[in-house]
Amino acid sequence: STLQSTQRYNRSQLSEKPVTELSLRSLAGMGFTDIQAEQIYETVFNVRGGSVAKHALSTLTALFVLGLNPSSVLKLLQKCPELYTVKESLLQQRIDNLRKVGLGEGSLQRVVAHYPQILTVTVKKLKHVVAFLREKCLFTVQQVTDILRDSPAIVLEDLSQVEYKFQYVYFRMGVKQAEMIKSRLFRFALDEIRCRHCFLERRGLYQTPDKKGQTVIINPQLDSILSADQDTFLRTIAKASAEEYEVFQRLMDREWQEEEKMYGSFEAD
Amino acid sequence: EKWAATRPKYPPTSLALQHFDATYSAQLGQLWPSVRVALLSERKYGALLNNFSHDAILEDLRAKGCRDFINDTDTVAQPCLEEGPVAGVKEESSDVPVKKSDIDGQQLSPLRLSPHIKCAVFPRGDITRFKPARPDMHKLLGYYLMDAASVLPCLAMDVQEGHNVLDLCAAPGGKTLTLLQTQSIRFLCVNDTSVSRTLRLRKVLHSYVPKEFLTERNLRITSFDGTKWGEIERETFDRVLVDVPCTTDRHSVIEDDNNIFSKTRTGERRRLPQVQLELLLAGIEAACPGGEIMYSTCTLSQIQNLSVVEQAIHLAREKHGIRLEVVDLRPLTRMFRKTFHFAPDLHLGEMVIPHLAANFGPIYMCKLRRLT
Ligand SMILES: C[S@@+](CC[C@H](N)C(=O)[O-])C[C@H]1O[C@@H](n2cnc3c(N)ncnc32)[C@H](O)[C@@H]1O
Repeated sequence: STLQSTQRYNRSQLSEKPVTELSLRSLAGMGFTDIQAEQIYETVFNVRGGSVAKHALSTLTALFVLGLNPSSVLKLLQKCPELYTVKESLLQQRIDNLRKVGLGEGSLQRVVAHYPQILTVTVKKLKHVVAFLREKCLFTVQQVTDILRDSPAIVLEDLSQVEYKFQYVYFRMGVKQAEMIKSRLFRFALDEIRCRHCFLERRGLYQTPDKKGQTVIINPQLDSILSADQDTFLRTIAKASAEEYEVFQRLMDREWQEEEKMYGSFEAD
Repeated sequence: EKWAATRPKYPPTSLALQHFDATYSAQLGQLWPSVRVALLSERKYGALLNNFSHDAILEDLRAKGCRDFINDTDTVAQPCLEEGPVAGVKEESSDVPVKKSDIDGQQLSPLRLSPHIKCAVFPRGDITRFKPARPDMHKLLGYYLMDAASVLPCLAMDVQEGHNVLDLCAAPGGKTLTLLQTQSIRFLCVNDTSVSRTLRLRKVLHSYVPKEFLTERNLRITSFDGTKWGEIERETFDRVLVDVPCTTDRHSVIEDDNNIFSKTRTGERRRLPQVQLELLLAGIEAACPGGEIMYSTCTLSQIQNLSVVEQAIHLAREKHGIRLEVVDLRPLTRMFRKTFHFAPDLHLGEMVIPHLAANFGPIYMCKLRRLT
């Protein structure tokens, strides 16, 4: 592989690509192994034929400054090569902004490593998401931080869908913000939440609380409904067979599709 | 504020559900949640084949994945739930309408089924819907969509060539139409106290049955109060179907309109068991000695099912000197257990209970034979 990388090195020299800043040597200096350096090269040249190479070094530097090690840097760049296209100053602003919304060292690294796409989101957009969570869903500052830490993908989701999910859980299931945070609600797809909830509700195992927050039966916790895998959910919470739930899911899909169609045709009228 | 919609605090559907939660969880125990979710989800239909239609309906339906659950012996499409084949039971084949069965080692008397009735259903777990039936060249419709479990009481009635039959509460006519498919009935009396519903029944019959079968020589349609039938026509019929008004459980949890649990109908609802008892007694009186009476409902309620039958048997004897025997329908449940879920351990009659994978019913049925 040493031979290979030397060849590649030569090739890129020969092809006279403007790789003024990004060299195998500089990569080695950052702590990448030969193979990793090779892979970095590959990912860089896969984005717009290498025209982004001039940002690459600054991107890498910024990520190292965050305290990420070479192998996690490599992994996240493979997941999200768009990061090579982001200017250093913007990247720095975005990282600072994430700190400002409460992601301390440790959680910041974890979020970036796990969901690097969060650095493709503009400062303005992130502020918008935070304001939405504060104002439309009445989460506290700390809760918003928790959401960004546990479900960072929310920053790229359609906020009207997020709002619908929140309202469903808040009004229809009667669950308060604190419990939503505990259950990491925003990691789960609306259809899955609705399907499990409706299944329990129709079996008589879940009730929407009344105005005073009271129910005749004791509802299972949102966390236990969402975090269980399907077998566990069916065995311990719904007490139903897999066959029943499988048919139920298909029935629900059709019911919702038809609702949407109807809703669509009302709007069109 | 999508979910904070302004609904009346207790719509009839939720009153019905509250009522059922209280009574059926006691009655059905562990089974209730599974029945409940089925009641609240989309039901399945069966397509009663119209033997009077000229089109090759059954082939079309088979091509779409249906099977005639009564006659098609193909069982591959219907995985069996509880295993344990019983010696001597030939399942779901009824070219020979006489079946011998043997349950728990005890010999059951054979059960004869009404002939020529065909009903297509999609396999277990399949949620495909039927398209509306189309008229053939004589403007007769090819099939009638109804709860496939509603066919069972008609099948179990064992209508034979030359029988006089009374359908005491017949509208809108699904079971009447099923009985007519046998083409064995000499004279059919169709009655329903509701005039408007009787009109609907007439329309149904005319969309399915050629005029020559609907003449005064073979059919009479009336709108009497069925509870009074015993005063008019006693010991007349070989077969009587008493398909009484009930709490129509499925309708009551789904539909607020025309709901028997609405506050304004409380009195009517409370009177149901009494009306049911009177109707069954009238049916018993209308049957001739040796004749058979089929009592059926579409509720799970013990009070409207078993209790009514028990009281009727008692009162028929005490007040009218009529002795009755209960006909064992267990062979029927054996035959069709791949298509329907039956309630376990009823000591009187049989009941189809809804299940998501076979979402038919509820249908309760109990067959009585007049000994005197
Ligand atoms: C469950 S529905 C019958 C359904 C019908 N057998 C079918 O299969 O389409 C009960 C019927 O009983 C009728 N009914 C109610 N009270 C009655 C009475 N006293 N005498 C006769 N019919 C009555 C109602 O009008 C209603 O149509």
